Amino acid sequence: MAYLNFNVIGLELLFFLIGCLLFFVKDFIKKEQAAFFLSLVTLLFALIFVFFLPFGDFTQSFRLDFFSSSMKFLMIFGGILILLLSRGYFNKYLVLNYPEYFGLLFFSLLGSFVMVSAMDLLTFYIAIELMSFPVYFLIAMGYKINKKGIEGAFKYFFLGVFSSVFFILGIAILYAYTGSFFFKDLIFVLGKKGTHWEILLGALFVIAGLSIKLSFVPFHMWAPDAYEGASLPITAFMSGIIKFSVLATLVKVMLMAFFPLRIEIGKIFLPIVLLTILGGNLMAIKQQNLVRMLAYSSIAHAGYASLGFIIADFTGYTFTVFYAFTYMIMSIGAFGLVAWLESCDKRLVEIPNLGILGKKNGLVSFLILLFMFSLAGIPPTAGFVAKFYLLLGLVKAGSWLIAVLVLLFSVIGAYPYIRVVKCVYMDKALEKVELRPFKWEFWLPIGLCSVLILLMGIYPQPFASFFYKTMFLYLSFFYFGS
Amino acid sequence: MFKAHLLSWILWFPLLGIILVWFVPRDKVRLIKWITFLALLFDLVLSCVLLKDFNFAESGFQFVEKANWIELINAKYFLGVDGISVLFVPLSVLVSVLCVLISWDSIKYRVKEFYLCLLFTNIAMVGVFCALDLFLFYVFWEAMLIPLYLIIGIWGGPRRIYATLKFFLYTFFGSIFMFVAILYLFIKTGTFDYLELSRHSFPIEVEKLLFLGFAFAFAVKIPMWPVHTWLPDAHTEAPTAGSVILAGILIKIGAYGLLRFCLPLFPHASLYFSKLILILSVIAIIYGGLACLAQEDLKRLIAYSSVSHMGFVTLGIFSFNPVAIKGAILQMINHGIVTGALFMCVGIIYDRTKTRQISYYGGLASTMPFYAALFMIFTLASIGLPGTNGFVGEFMILLGTFLKCKAIVFFAALGVIIGAAYMLWLYQRVFFQNVSENVKNLPGLKFNEIAAVLPMVFFVFLIGLYPKVVLAFMDTSVKALLLYLK
Repeated sequence: MAYLNFNVIGLELLFFLIGCLLFFVKDFIKKEQAAFFLSLVTLLFALIFVFFLPFGDFTQSFRLDFFSSSMKFLMIFGGILILLLSRGYFNKYLVLNYPEYFGLLFFSLLGSFVMVSAMDLLTFYIAIELMSFPVYFLIAMGYKINKKGIEGAFKYFFLGVFSSVFFILGIAILYAYTGSFFFKDLIFVLGKKGTHWEILLGALFVIAGLSIKLSFVPFHMWAPDAYEGASLPITAFMSGIIKFSVLATLVKVMLMAFFPLRIEIGKIFLPIVLLTILGGNLMAIKQQNLVRMLAYSSIAHAGYASLGFIIADFTGYTFTVFYAFTYMIMSIGAFGLVAWLESCDKRLVEIPNLGILGKKNGLVSFLILLFMFSLAGIPPTAGFVAKFYLLLGLVKAGSWLIAVLVLLFSVIGAYPYIRVVKCVYMDKALEKVELRPFKWEFWLPIGLCSVLILLMGIYPQPFASFFYKTMFLYLSFFYFGS
Repeated sequence: MFKAHLLSWILWFPLLGIILVWFVPRDKVRLIKWITFLALLFDLVLSCVLLKDFNFAESGFQFVEKANWIELINAKYFLGVDGISVLFVPLSVLVSVLCVLISWDSIKYRVKEFYLCLLFTNIAMVGVFCALDLFLFYVFWEAMLIPLYLIIGIWGGPRRIYATLKFFLYTFFGSIFMFVAILYLFIKTGTFDYLELSRHSFPIEVEKLLFLGFAFAFAVKIPMWPVHTWLPDAHTEAPTAGSVILAGILIKIGAYGLLRFCLPLFPHASLYFSKLILILSVIAIIYGGLACLAQEDLKRLIAYSSVSHMGFVTLGIFSFNPVAIKGAILQMINHGIVTGALFMCVGIIYDRTKTRQISYYGGLASTMPFYAALFMIFTLASIGLPGTNGFVGEFMILLGTFLKCKAIVFFAALGVIIGAAYMLWLYQRVFFQNVSENVKNLPGLKFNEIAAVLPMVFFVFLIGLYPKVVLAFMDTSVKALLLYLK
């Protein structure tokens, strides 16, 4: 192709340039907050900028379409929340305030942008690596305040290497069989030749690679350690934005490359997902540490979100993305609250010590209540609505037995959350802890999340139809247009 | 405008109270109480307007409001009341108002949160009784767990945390089967609309499963015999207002659900399972009564008596007889009034002595004579003495059931005798006998306590002497309900 349309990758170019600039910003401006404000302004600009980019291809490997730009918009939104939380967190832990922190965050976001736009498996792979590598560094940076940072980063790194190995093996098998990396060729070959076990094997390895990023149950061991070791805004980033982007991309790959195989792949997903939900919920019960509890809950929620792959049809995939977005909002809010708690006092991260909160700060207690009930899936919150759609899909697909199982698991899963609420509201304050003021860097993002949660719980129509239309437009663009 | 949206007004008016209370500083305790009280009182006035404008002759739904809510799943904001549900709306609000009065001095810490929870509970309760869209119903049904979880857990007795976790997990577990059944109904019919659903019929095997899904959720809430174990703990450990709400409204929601959803939507399955439920009801009546005889804790005794009384309600509902069903609805209201009042009475002395042990008391009749008289009225109403409301309800249920199955009535009537035994024995142990040292210097009733209990006395005699004020509301609707079962 002689002519390359650089407008299509405008957002990625912007993030690349600003990301590089962030590494050097302290050479130009001596102010402490320069990096933060530069990245905030860039993200706010990008939030609008993303709507003005033209749709189209950049080579055959990258495509900006309605789906990917709306996913990018949501990721940027999440990124802004993370950025604000980081700012608040640095009030306490000034040692973390390196410009590189923001630069790495930008590169990780850049990776996830490329990922949702990828049109072939190699680009997909490289984008995953681009997304993950900065995160390894960011977790390790937590070493400055928490000795577990290195452990978490190492675990995540080694499992990340495993993930890459699986992924590449999967790609290789698929290439050997179909002779191409491109999604459009894959779906063409699949449509022509039908189902073959080689392709299923390749798909299985690709899924195995991704399931490490999504922390599905046989590969979940890294998650609690990495989440605990990282500084908490990064934890929110990992469990919110990274999971969201990987799930969104997986949905896209399912639709664009493996659509004829969706039923078989759904069968592969079935045991993994059920195990993930059950395991995550069971292991969350015993946790004393709030971060570890939320880490296990994050495992379970990745499982809930992936129920859409079992449903294996268009609506199922839509609601997977919807659930992933809901979970992104919930987890950023929940981890944001934990970040505030930790910046007050490290002891507050232990669940039994939360009793002090109910006495001293009504607003934060209420927010914890809201997020916990939303994570448990009790109406009128977004967690309920998102789960409702997925279960509706399951029953519609005829697997009502799975729906009953999932609901049973979610009753088990409700316990850890209501236990937190119990500790906040009903336990005596064990220790004397001084609370810091709940500043705007915290209440703004957390408040936004909580308003969104309530809004999606009470009037989900605009949100759900947004995702539905996004996917539908995308599908029609893919099959009938282009 | 106002008339057309009367139900929405009643439903959402406490939200104004929530918003106002939210912005009051937490140390302005009196202001918080007054705002809550006035908001709920105004709500009560609105629901009296509802009763006044209710048309007795019409069997269908009145005050219907319908608006699109979530188009994607065809869920609607669909409210309406008929003869079965119309009485529960004012009853819920009345109970909430009295709860504010009875908690006026007894809630001492986290006052603001308490009244917020109370207002929120009121919205959810009224919502459950008005919702005619299954999705909306389920949202209110589950949302009610949040404030009650907090009310029991924060302001409850010594074992409150165990009780509240048990309550929460039990009812949450119960409702998942209903949830799946609702999903299935939606997939098959494409609607959550109650009126449309009641026109559909399903194959009998499917209907049975759906019925079980719904009935299990309701059975946990009622609670019926094998799944009742959350109730004694939750009712006992809850603060007075929590017990009153639980006994007065919450467990009625289960029985209401049976009437509203199980019977019309799954008539064949209801007939098929009616024997089973009648037997379970009788077991509940007798078991609850016998359990009462063994209790040493005042509140626990009254809690077990709820199991027994709710057995009568399910008995009446599943006799499929207009008299029995009307009796069951009446009994639900009666039980709300009487047991609610009994819990209030227990709360009054619990506030003074901080113990619920029956053996701690004795001779209260000579130290608190007025209180003893009030307690006597409710005791007699609970036993079902003629002239009180309890008599009318139980009599109608037994009369209606007699036409269906005589053996069952025999056992159920045994329950009445056991009921008289445990209540009178309780009364004797607490109020007569020698005056215990512990209760010699107890202060008399305060104004707010009298104000909370007296309306209940009024209703005990009003319904007992002239039950038509209540029965007139449900005549046509119960007839229409029974048409489904023909």
